Amino acid sequence: MTAVDKPGAGTAAHGTGGHGHGGNIFDPELLDRCISCGFCLPACPTYALTKDEGSSPRGRITLMRALETGRLDPDDDRLQKEASFCLGCRACEPVCPAGVQYGHLLETWRDHQWRGLHRPPLARVLTMVADRKPLIRLIGAVRRPARTRESAPSRTRVGASRNGATPDTTPLTLMLGCFERGLFPGVSKAVQKLLPEISVPENQGCCGALHAHNGDSAGGVALAEKLGEELPGVIVTTAGGCAAHLATVLGRDRVHELSEHLVKAGYEPIGELTVDDGHGGRRRARVAIQDSCHLRNGLGVSAEPRALLGAVADFVSVAGDGSCCGSAGTYSLLRPKDARRVLEPKLDAVEAAGVDYVVAVNPGCLRQWQTGLARRKSRIRAVHLADLLVAAAGGRRLPTGLPLAARLPQVRLPSGMRVRRVFALRKDAAAQNTDGWSA
Amino acid sequence: MNVDRSVIRELEAIVGAEHVRTDPGDVEPYSRDATPTFRAVPDAVAWPGTAEEVAAILKLATARRVPVIPRGAGSNLCAATVAERGGIVMVLTRMDKILEVSADELLARVETGVTTAALADAAAAKGLLYAPDPGSRTVSTVGGNVATCAGGLRGLKYGVTRNYVLGATVVLPTGEIMKTGGRLWKDVAGYDLTRLLTGSEGTLGVLTELTVALLPMPATSNTGVAYFPTLADAGRAVDAIIGHGIVPATLEFLDAKCIGAVEQYARLGLRDDAGALLLFGDDGSQDVVDRNLERIGEQCTATGAMEVTLAENIARAQALLEARRCSLPALSRLGTMTILEDATVPRPRLAEMVDRIDAIAHAHDVPVATFGHAGDGNLHPTIVVDQHDDAAIKRAHEAFGEVFKAAISMDGTITGEHGVGAAKLPYLIDRLGADQMALLRRIKAAFDPAGILNPGKLGS
Repeated sequence: MTAVDKPGAGTAAHGTGGHGHGGNIFDPELLDRCISCGFCLPACPTYALTKDEGSSPRGRITLMRALETGRLDPDDDRLQKEASFCLGCRACEPVCPAGVQYGHLLETWRDHQWRGLHRPPLARVLTMVADRKPLIRLIGAVRRPARTRESAPSRTRVGASRNGATPDTTPLTLMLGCFERGLFPGVSKAVQKLLPEISVPENQGCCGALHAHNGDSAGGVALAEKLGEELPGVIVTTAGGCAAHLATVLGRDRVHELSEHLVKAGYEPIGELTVDDGHGGRRRARVAIQDSCHLRNGLGVSAEPRALLGAVADFVSVAGDGSCCGSAGTYSLLRPKDARRVLEPKLDAVEAAGVDYVVAVNPGCLRQWQTGLARRKSRIRAVHLADLLVAAAGGRRLPTGLPLAARLPQVRLPSGMRVRRVFALRKDAAAQNTDGWSA
Repeated sequence: MNVDRSVIRELEAIVGAEHVRTDPGDVEPYSRDATPTFRAVPDAVAWPGTAEEVAAILKLATARRVPVIPRGAGSNLCAATVAERGGIVMVLTRMDKILEVSADELLARVETGVTTAALADAAAAKGLLYAPDPGSRTVSTVGGNVATCAGGLRGLKYGVTRNYVLGATVVLPTGEIMKTGGRLWKDVAGYDLTRLLTGSEGTLGVLTELTVALLPMPATSNTGVAYFPTLADAGRAVDAIIGHGIVPATLEFLDAKCIGAVEQYARLGLRDDAGALLLFGDDGSQDVVDRNLERIGEQCTATGAMEVTLAENIARAQALLEARRCSLPALSRLGTMTILEDATVPRPRLAEMVDRIDAIAHAHDVPVATFGHAGDGNLHPTIVVDQHDDAAIKRAHEAFGEVFKAAISMDGTITGEHGVGAAKLPYLIDRLGADQMALLRRIKAAFDPAGILNPGKLGS
């Protein structure tokens, strides 16, 4: 068991990785970048849970190096476990002084670790669905998202006004997202209210982020390129995760996340979001944010949604609002228990902060928060930024009080917890849709 | 060495099976710390939760002659936590509670696994300052700071970690749990074991709790920057500043190569035509800070500064300090292996030493850039090479061997704040001499008769 690889009193060169029987798995340039300083440790949500360095970015890079050099067996349990335990939130990247591109390393690692039958079956199913445009469109047909029609009724802008900036003539296209269009179809409709000039082609596929984060980075690039051909001009997304992936493939200029686009294009939100003050009157709503990890850590967008929220409500900065909520793409489906462990302290924090809404800028985070808050029967509601801006302008009221999921009797199923949760959430989402004009 | 399966079972009985790991993939991440070129795989990793568990592990290790390597965050730069002879890496990060912050007594009591930043934040919340300020403060543990007597950017005015340790709870390798020092500034009862343990690099005992001194938080602080044609000019400015009775909190320097690397990395708008940059800063009441920075600026100008600028706001001052903190990572982007050293000379000989370093590096055909704490004479010559180029790594180590000799010949030392660890043990005799080395070994034997605690480091 022991392998004491002893350096000769400070002169022998035992590199941090690289040489030896190379596995040619990783780009050496990316792997060599890490200087093992450990600055990433405090930023890592899974290290915070375990205090075990194997579950930290530095430790995982040490594991990748051991895989690369053959020091560890490719089927080593810990290698397998860590490749999937990592949230992939990339919170380690902004704090890394050496500029390690951890997100890229993780994608390569998963490509290798999840090859063939090692890939989680659920990840295979999800990417398979997202690969097939007819299936995505079927989701959209059941729960209709926004789309551009020839005979569109006259559309007036709701929720935002230009602050004098010259309008850009570059065509604007809304990306619907493969699962968002089914889970939260109202979000795309809210975007149409905010940006009436945006076109929403019905015929669009998946951006490939799902694939890139689930062991098929080549597939992820191909899908992003395809979507780039399908959607002209600047692609606006309401999903931070998709934005970051698309921007990596198509270039930063072609992809705008919604809040980023609104701020860049010079829109200012209008109206004010108020809630019942409990004494028969109204007061300005208190809102917190959940950053999208890849939007914040990958694209550096975090000030924009805060500025927009602060314009229409009392923005409350909650400790940890920039760290991962555990949704992490497919993570909350693949590792529900760990996803919950990551979310729990954040639920405590928003409840302690006494906010009315938690605002998400990514559908996965929205789903994770809605589920978590419902589980606690919290009065706090999770909403998407687009919905909140439209509601503030008087376009559509946001739900208040206990979500439907929390009001349903708790039925304990032997092994079908996830079934109940998805069911409850969809009911809940449906309730939101009947709450206003978009039904 | 091979640790017997029965030892692992006893270890599991002490801390719980969930806090012991022995599988290859589980121990691999603990095969190294932040020191390049050093790597050794431990047989087991254990995470004790109390001083009693630490004591039980050490008793077991002494009885079975198994090495134990105490570890905090593993951010040290001298291979102090590498398991040179295998054994058990004992990680103390579960013990991370802040037990007390007392504004009345100006002290804090913490478990040793708490991070330096967490302690500083807890103190700041009560209007108090924990002065030691090592570059790795966000990740490093207070226990690790004390074990290596960490320095930092405020050393000139505030001293280093050792100046703030009032008391410790230490577990000896033979299993005794004892308290040294306490809550008192004045206490001369017995040898100063607290001071001996500070900087002992986990070779004498395992620290589980610390009482540290705090200071009232200074009302304000500010930072400025001065550019000089040569490092020798900057050195003269440092002498002039201190010679005029000004002892600022911060007095840091970067040579031309560091300025370039930092600017490329942090984009702070630093000048690219200077031979040296002096970063100065002070804290205290507004009028004192203003006056001191003004006087420092005058001294810089008088000694030939090309330009002197004060930070216009706190954000800018913070950015400048961050620039200094990121010198190492900025340099690290120039290659794939960054070897950082820590030689220290008497303050007036700083510029002379930098010239010597440049000459040595040139003779060994390795690129070197130097930054460091000008006020302390503490230099960080840094060589960046390709980690696959074994010949260059060998030349770098040879160059550093000569740098250490040069430092010693100038009444300096081989390490100012990083520590000896496994990395600099071969050079220690040059600094201490045979008699002192022998005394260190006798002290080590008195604490650790079986020689199980962090073997291959200090006292070995």
